[in-house]
Amino acid sequence: MHEFPVWQLGSLQIDISTFIAITVSAIITFVVARLAVRNLSVDNPSKMQNFLEWVVEFVHNLIASAMPLNRVKPFISLGMTLIMFIFISNLLGLPFGIVTEVHHAYPALGITEELLQSKGGHLELAWWKSPTADLSVTAGLALIVFILVHYLGLKMNTKHYAKHYFHPFPIFLPINLIETISKPVTLALRLFANIYAGEVLISTILMLGVIGTPFLAAWQAFSIFVGAIQAFLFTMLTMVYISQAAIHEEDH
Amino acid sequence: MALHWTSTVYAIVAFIVLYWLLNKYAFGPLLGVMEKRRQLVLEQMNTAESSRKQAEQQMIEQKAALEQARKEAYEIIEQSRVTSSKQADEIVNTAKTEASRLKDDALKDIESEKNKAIAALRSEVGGISVQIASKIIEKQVDEKSQEQLVNQYLKEVSGK
Repeated sequence: MHEFPVWQLGSLQIDISTFIAITVSAIITFVVARLAVRNLSVDNPSKMQNFLEWVVEFVHNLIASAMPLNRVKPFISLGMTLIMFIFISNLLGLPFGIVTEVHHAYPALGITEELLQSKGGHLELAWWKSPTADLSVTAGLALIVFILVHYLGLKMNTKHYAKHYFHPFPIFLPINLIETISKPVTLALRLFANIYAGEVLISTILMLGVIGTPFLAAWQAFSIFVGAIQAFLFTMLTMVYISQAAIHEEDH
Repeated sequence: MALHWTSTVYAIVAFIVLYWLLNKYAFGPLLGVMEKRRQLVLEQMNTAESSRKQAEQQMIEQKAALEQARKEAYEIIEQSRVTSSKQADEIVNTAKTEASRLKDDALKDIESEKNKAIAALRSEVGGISVQIASKIIEKQVDEKSQEQLVNQYLKEVSGK
């Protein structure tokens, strides 16, 4: 398996491939969005604008399926950012990889002599991957959702938010706490595991050499599908959690 | 696979920055345009509806005006028919009275002319008879019988 270059910056350990991946994903997302809104027109939208408007409609419907229609508006931008960023992140590791072989120890990149020895004198450094194939990144996204959900719950739905921990009886508090914690954990792990597994399988298929080409093509196609599904799921669940915590329906 | 909290922090920061940038430079304008389009469609639909109503109103008004005009035309025709028949009657009546008047005048004229002619004829006959008589008398009557005759005539004249 590939090692990842870790830059030792003082006391900070910086995972270079992850940082590159996050930056590139964010830039691509922003550039795509900017290209789409370059020549905004009310009555004659360009193809890219139509596409982005389709995404807006899609996200709007997605959010509307989780909460009442009149509460949807403030969350459209969040949903759009989530779904676009995660989808592009999921796809980032699919088309190619950048791998360098290392034969000497580079302590600055986290390659110590012991690690080198344990791998038999040389190892491969992967510089390119999907940011979502890193649990640290998905944990960060899940943390954003977690904080947002509870902040919105406290701000918009104060009374019922506190009450739901003791629902239906105070004895259920531990179960409710476990549920609360499990939500972001599953959110992070699901996304990470799906994408990471995809990339692991890609590098495994690559070991097959030329024979593996059809499998690689098939798996890359499937990974695009998985990436879309996971982006959709992450956004959907985020909205469901926000809806559960922050939107109190009058009839229950 | 090692966990690096720096990656987590960077992911969070990057996501928040991305969200802010997208919200400001991409989704904000896009949603604004979509909202504007929604307004435009709504406005156009309202305009279409109001112009349809206006057209209907005008249609009704025109129909009423047409009906009014038709009624007026009918009235005018009716009136003119009445007037013309009245006028015709009047003309006929006038002609009739005029004719009868003319006839009466003519009758009167004839009567008076006839009387005049009779009178003239009478005086002429008188004169002629006198001349004839005087011619006869010149020959046959003497002074005395002439005088007697004159007196007799005078008597007759005064007696009348």
